[in-house]
Amino acid sequence: MLKFSAQSWIMTILLVVCGALVLYPLVYLVIESFNIGDAQTFPPEEYGLGNYLELFEDSRVITNTLLVASIATVLAVLFGFIQAWILTRTAIPGREKLERLMELPYYMTPLIGALAWGVLLGPKTGLLNQLWRSTGLDFDFFNIYSPWGIAWVMALFEGTVAFVMISASMKSMDPSLEESSRVLGAGKMRTTLKITLPLVAPGVLSATIFVFSEMLGSFAAAFVLGIPGRYYVVTTAIWQSTLSFPPDYGRAAAMGLSLFGAMLITLGLSRLIIRKGSYTTITGKAFRPRPMDVGWLKYLLMAIAWGYIFVAVLLPLGALTLTSFQQFATVIVSQMQFTLANYETALAMGSLAPAFANSMILGVVVATFGVPILGIMAWIIFRSRMPGRGVMEYVAMVPAAVPRLVFGLGLLWAWINIPIPIYGTLWLLGIAYFTVFMPLGLRTIAGVVLQIDKSLEECARVCGASWSHQMRTVTLPLLKPGLVAAWLLIFIASVRELGVSVFLMGPHSKVIAPSIVNSWLSSSSELSAAMALMQTVMVFIAVAIMFRVARSVSGAKQ
Amino acid sequence: MKSDQAAQPRIEVRDLVVKYGDTTAVQGVSFAIAPGELVTLLGPSGCGKTTTLRAIAGLETPSGGTIRLNNQTVYSSAERRNIPSEKRGVSMVFQSYAIWPHMTVFENVAYGLRVRKLPQAEIASNVNRVLDMVQMTQYADRPSSNLSGGQQQRVAVARAIAFSPNVVLFDEPLSNLDAKLRAEMRVELRELQRRLDITSLYVTHDQEEALAISDRVIVMNAGRIEQLGPPEAIYNQPVSHFVADFVGSANMIKGKVAGTGANGGLLFAAEGGVTLKIAVPATGKTAGETVALRSSYIHFGQSSGAHNAVNGTIHRRMFHGDFIQYVVDWPAGQLIVRRPPTELFDEGAPVTLSFAPEHCVLL
Repeated sequence: MLKFSAQSWIMTILLVVCGALVLYPLVYLVIESFNIGDAQTFPPEEYGLGNYLELFEDSRVITNTLLVASIATVLAVLFGFIQAWILTRTAIPGREKLERLMELPYYMTPLIGALAWGVLLGPKTGLLNQLWRSTGLDFDFFNIYSPWGIAWVMALFEGTVAFVMISASMKSMDPSLEESSRVLGAGKMRTTLKITLPLVAPGVLSATIFVFSEMLGSFAAAFVLGIPGRYYVVTTAIWQSTLSFPPDYGRAAAMGLSLFGAMLITLGLSRLIIRKGSYTTITGKAFRPRPMDVGWLKYLLMAIAWGYIFVAVLLPLGALTLTSFQQFATVIVSQMQFTLANYETALAMGSLAPAFANSMILGVVVATFGVPILGIMAWIIFRSRMPGRGVMEYVAMVPAAVPRLVFGLGLLWAWINIPIPIYGTLWLLGIAYFTVFMPLGLRTIAGVVLQIDKSLEECARVCGASWSHQMRTVTLPLLKPGLVAAWLLIFIASVRELGVSVFLMGPHSKVIAPSIVNSWLSSSSELSAAMALMQTVMVFIAVAIMFRVARSVSGAKQ
Repeated sequence: MKSDQAAQPRIEVRDLVVKYGDTTAVQGVSFAIAPGELVTLLGPSGCGKTTTLRAIAGLETPSGGTIRLNNQTVYSSAERRNIPSEKRGVSMVFQSYAIWPHMTVFENVAYGLRVRKLPQAEIASNVNRVLDMVQMTQYADRPSSNLSGGQQQRVAVARAIAFSPNVVLFDEPLSNLDAKLRAEMRVELRELQRRLDITSLYVTHDQEEALAISDRVIVMNAGRIEQLGPPEAIYNQPVSHFVADFVGSANMIKGKVAGTGANGGLLFAAEGGVTLKIAVPATGKTAGETVALRSSYIHFGQSSGAHNAVNGTIHRRMFHGDFIQYVVDWPAGQLIVRRPPTELFDEGAPVTLSFAPEHCVLL
C-alpha cells in the first residue's frame, strides 16, 4: 500500500470498533475476577485470588456440572451416532427427507425444549406423569427437575450437533476402503470392526469433546429445570451470584472465566484430535457410500430415526400446544377446558406485549445494520490482502469461544461502569447482540465469499472499475444469498437470545426469552407455553423463508 | 515479428521481481513487446509466468523493477509508483473466464464500456460488434450462468476486447477446454488478434499452443527467462537443457566435443564410441557435454554424406496415429525417433539413423 486508501480507513475503523466491543467487556471481567474488596466498586480496591479459591470450597457446583454434562454428552453422542449411521449407511425409505428434518431440533432451542419437557414430565402435573398416575400408581413416572432431566433435554438438542459432525465423518469416508476389505475376503462384521469403526473413531471422539464443551457452557435447560429444585450447575450459579444481595460480581466473574478456560481447553483438544486423528479418509470430498441392505430391519431403523424427531420436536411442540390452549393443563379428556385466554394474556399483559415488540425490533435492527458491516468485514478478512486482517478475524471470532452467559456478565459489568447511560435500554441490548452474533454472521457470509472465484472481482478491476464500483456491481450481488442467510440467522438468534439478555434486560427493555423464563418461574405454565409457542412460530417462519431462499438460489445455479 | 522495429514497445518489463513472503516467484525478468505482436510466456507451473502477467495487470504488487505500458510507467519500485489495475487500460482474459453469473451475456460484455460511461447507443453497437466477432450474437440476452465452457470462453474474449484496449493479457485462456475445442479456439484467437492488431501477452504451459500461436515465445523456468525468440528458433536452437526438454521431444546425447570438423563444424564424441558431426550453435558455444537432437529430425535410411549416419536396431514401436514413435537401440544407448505413420518398421529390424549436423544442438 503506497497510500492510505478508503479501504484502509474502513479497515481501521472496523478494527477499532469491533475490538472495543469484544475486548472491553472481557477486560472488565478479568479485572473484576481478581476483586476481593467490595464487589460493587470499580476499579477494585483490593486484588487477590480469593474469588478463584472460593470455587473449590463449594465443589458441589463443579460436580453437578460435570455430572450433567457427562450424562448429556453420552446421550447426545449416542443419539447422534445412531441417527448418523441409520441415515448415511442403511437403505431405509425416506432417508433424504429425514436428513433434512434432522435440522429441526436445532431450531427448537434448549429453552423451548426445557419448557416443553417441564410441561410433560413435571412432578405430579406433568402431562405424562398425569397419564402414569391415572393408571392408579401414586408416584411419578419421571421427575424432569433433576440432573437426569436437565441432561435429557440438553442431549435431545445437542444430538443434532453430534449427528452433523459424525455423519460428516461417515460421509467423507471413501467406500472403496470398505469394498476392498470385502473383496479381500473379510465378512460384513469383520469389515465393520476392523475398517469402518477405526476410520470413524476420530470423528466420533472429536464430536464427543465438542458436545461436552458446549454442555459445560449451556444455561437454558439448567435454568428452567434446575432452579426450582435448587440444583445448580456453573452457569446457573454464575447467574445466581449476580442476584444475591449484595451481588457478588467478583465470584461470578471468576466462575465465568474458569468456565471459559475449561471450554477453551476441551475445544482445543477436539481440534487436535481432528487434525491428528484424521486419516487420509478425510479428503474433504463427500462420498455417498452405498447404503447397506438391511432387509426387514429397515422398519425398525426407520422407527428409531423417526422416534428421535418425534421425541425432540413433535412431542414437545405438541405438549406446548395442548397446554397453551387449556386453562389447567391436563391429558384427561373429560377434564379439558379449552381457552384462548393464555394468548390474550400473553399479548395484553403489561410487560409481555412490549417484550415481543422489542425482540422483533432488535432482531430486525441488529440484522439490518449488522449484515452490511459483517459483509465488509468478511470480505476484508477472507479476500483482501490488507495488513491486520488476521487480527480482525481473531477479534471478531472471540465471542464464539466465550460462553454466552459469561459474555453477558462481562457486558453487564462493563456497561454499568461506563458513563454512557445506555444500561437498561434497547441500545445496549442491540450492541450486545451485534457483538455476540458477529462470529455467526461472519461464518455464514464467509462461506459465500470463499465460493466466489477471485478472478470475478479481479476482472472487474482490469475492466476499469474502481474498488467501490467493483463491490457494488460484482461482489455484493454475488454475495446476496449469503447476506440474506446471515440476516435471517441473526434475526432468529436475536429473537431467541437468552444468555446475554438475562443480564442486560431492564424494566423498560424486556425481550422474549427471559420474559418466558420469568413467567415460567413465577406464574403459570399454560401462559409460558403460549409465549414459547409464539416465539417458536416466529423462528420457524424465518427458518422457512431461509430454506426457500436457499432453494431458489441453488435452483438458479442448475 | 513486426517490421516497424522503430515503434515504441507497448509493453516493457524491466528487472521485474515479485515476492510472496519468503519465496521469490519472479526474479529479474525483462522483455518488450511491440505493437500488434503476440508474445507467449511459456513454462511449467510455478515458473512465474502467471505472476508476471498479473503484475503487468496490476493484480500483484511487485517488489522491484519497472513496468511500462503504452509509454507510461505503471509500476516502478525506484519511483515508488504503482498505478492501480483499473487505471492501466489493459484488458485480460482469465483462466477461469470469470464470467459474472448474475449478469446476461450482453451485460458482461458491456461492463468495461459502462465503467467508461459511454453513451447507451455506442455501448450497444460495440457489444454487438464484438459478440458478432466471436459468433455469440444470438446469446446476448441469455443469463450467463448456463453457458458451455466454449461459449464462456468466447464471452470472456468479447468482454476483453469490447472497450478497444490496446493491450490484452491472456492467462491460460484455453486450458479448461477439451483438446478438440482448444485446437479450434487457438485458430480463432490468432485470427482475431491479427485482424484487430491487438498487442497480446499470452500465458500457457502448453508448448504446442505457444509455438502455434505466437510471434515470439518467452520460455520461463524458476522465475527467470530461459530463452526468448520466434517459435522456430526456440524449437530448432534451444539454448539450454531445460528449453530443449520442455519444448518438443528431444534426445539428450551425452559426450564431449572432440575437435573441429568440415565446414567450420565440430566433432562430438558421444558415449559408446560414436563420433557425430555437429554445427556450431547460434549461441556460438564450442564446448559442452550434451547434444540435443529432436526426435522428428532423425530419418531412417542413408542420405547425403554431410549427414550423420549410425546403425541401430528398432527396440519398440508405438503407434500414435499422427506419427509412430520408435525406441531405437544405438551404440550410445537409446534414441526416440518420430516418423510419419507411412514409415513402418518391425521391432528388431536393423536401421540406419541419419540426421543433419545443424540439428545436433550443443548445449
